[in-house]
Amino acid sequence: MTLPSLVLFLAFAISLASFVVLRLGLGRRVATPFAPPRASAAAGVRYAFTTAFLPWAKESARQHLTSYVAGIVFHGAVFAALGLLVLSLVHVAPPPGASTVLAVAFAAGLACGLGLLGKRARTAALRAVSTPEDVAANLFVNAVLAAGIAAVLRPALLPVFQLVGAALLLYAPLGKLRHMLFLLTSRRYWGTYFGRRGVRPSPRQAAGPRG
Amino acid sequence: MAEAAAVERALGVLTERLDERTAAFLNACVRCGLCADSCHVHLADGDPASTPVAKVERVAKHYRRYHTLLGRVVPGLVGAEDLTDAALQELVAAAFGRCTLCGRCALTCSVGLDPSAVIRFGRTMLLAAGLVPKGILANRDAALETGNNMRLSREDVVETIQWLEEDLRQTLGDPAVRLPVDEAGARVLYVLNPREIKFFPLSISAAGAIFHAAGESWTLTSTDFDITNYGFFAADAEAAGAISAKVIERAEALGVEELVVAECGHGYRTLRWEAPEWLGRAPKVRVVSFVEKMAEYLADGRIRLAPTRNPLPVTLHDPCNLVRNGGVIEEQRVVLRSAAAAFVEMTPNRAENYCCGGGGGLLAASEFAAQRVAAGRIKADQIRATGAKVVTSPCHNCIDQLMELNRHYKLGVEVKTLGEVVADALVPPPPVA
Ligand code: SF4
Ligand code: SF4
Repeated sequence: MTLPSLVLFLAFAISLASFVVLRLGLGRRVATPFAPPRASAAAGVRYAFTTAFLPWAKESARQHLTSYVAGIVFHGAVFAALGLLVLSLVHVAPPPGASTVLAVAFAAGLACGLGLLGKRARTAALRAVSTPEDVAANLFVNAVLAAGIAAVLRPALLPVFQLVGAALLLYAPLGKLRHMLFLLTSRRYWGTYFGRRGVRPSPRQAAGPRG
Repeated sequence: MAEAAAVERALGVLTERLDERTAAFLNACVRCGLCADSCHVHLADGDPASTPVAKVERVAKHYRRYHTLLGRVVPGLVGAEDLTDAALQELVAAAFGRCTLCGRCALTCSVGLDPSAVIRFGRTMLLAAGLVPKGILANRDAALETGNNMRLSREDVVETIQWLEEDLRQTLGDPAVRLPVDEAGARVLYVLNPREIKFFPLSISAAGAIFHAAGESWTLTSTDFDITNYGFFAADAEAAGAISAKVIERAEALGVEELVVAECGHGYRTLRWEAPEWLGRAPKVRVVSFVEKMAEYLADGRIRLAPTRNPLPVTLHDPCNLVRNGGVIEEQRVVLRSAAAAFVEMTPNRAENYCCGGGGGLLAASEFAAQRVAAGRIKADQIRATGAKVVTSPCHNCIDQLMELNRHYKLGVEVKTLGEVVADALVPPPPVA
């Protein structure tokens, strides 16, 4: 194992352990609800993790389709980059031809990431809530995507990609990137809430009048 | 120093009362701002401080300061801030003045968190700091002390109901109509908003006419009838639980099968969904909204309606706590289609409907009255766009706000409860032989 691979492996392990610690220390557990459900919590959770991601499912996605698409492309590229980092640890090279696809995907992700950063700078409501870390985290992720482009086009640069990726993994549990874990917990609670109450995925139909 | 003690108490809440759900939400928000345009307050005033995320940040920045490593070490980097007296004052403006806890933003959040749950948690911090608006606390205390938020005596209630019963008999020309009170063994207990007794008694008459037409075995109660819950608006779980317990225990003591909650969004939400969690048990009675009950009567053929008796176009305002947070979504539509000749939907509607601006206890917080009416502009625009002449809503709280919006924005509509619309369309039952 090369030194960058070892560093990356350790970063994965430390990051994972940190996320587990964060998750376990999150707060008082929420008790199982006593109110009888109106509809299915499980259906709400399934919806939260599937259909709710579709562009027409939420008003915000419908109204801000460009941001929605940019977000999807950006996050898709990040997951592809993480996948590539994992593959690099087990010495599996992407299949021939995949390099170009990955380079394009990372470049698209990079462009979208920078575009979202630009939107943050331009929009008054976003500037009002932005922190320096919003910029730092975005640039950090974009640096990984840039390193990914370099690595797929020039395999000799793989160690650089691994080291930048390792740094990101170590940073992830500390700042806003931790949303990658808490998004899962949030969506589960969101789906449970609206599912039990029969608001999502769809309202319970009422019988029509008789007579 | 009083301020320091208040800050300490609020910090204690942040440390000890945070549950997993709220903490997950606090950690999940990425400040993408996609929730901004979902909020009627922000749409109305355009102020960046009114976006849901800005209100979430009023809590999140302190969470990061005291509960995250970077927030402790490099607070400036992650926008973490000490909780101070000034910060608490800003939280009051955000969590009360700029938020009705309507939950609309939860349906639009890109991550899938509920900003209103975080903002409600901010109210819990303010409760500990003694900074909840006095009007909300006064109503909470009245309910705890007397069983209803208007401090109505048992005699007030009984007298009003007796008078209403007489009046209803004359109106319907039916001496058999009753508004029974405190009748143990009835199948249904119908519980009220005290404002109905004091200011809107006709909605009680409307319910009486509907129960009578349906041949229901029902009763009112002269004590512990108040479905409103200002403990809920104050984010005071202990008080809210005690207020709800009075109503539920009254229903259980009377031995009814169903507790039918009059038209009140948060009253339904608290008794149906929140009270079991506060009390740690499910009620022994079925808790059901009067809206659902009317839809059931229609479906079972127990009441018949003549929509031509409501000839003017009617639109429906969906109360946030009944619909988005309560799940009663289609029943009012089934009822209205049978009760009115022309029912026009607002856009958007159902779970995506905008708050009227009067939720979250704001009607009792006079210091925010101007903001409340200004935020109601989005609802006023929605109403105007329908061209309807009548606005109905199954919530007395919303009705109060809608009446004020009607005056302020010169909408020229009539505002009615759903029960009143239904009662106007009732085909009288055949006289008992
Ligand atoms: S709960 Fe309603 S009022 Fe409060 S921030 Fe969300 S949309 Fe706005
Ligand atoms: S949409 Fe959700 S994640 Fe984005 S800023 Fe609003 S609350 Fe936070």
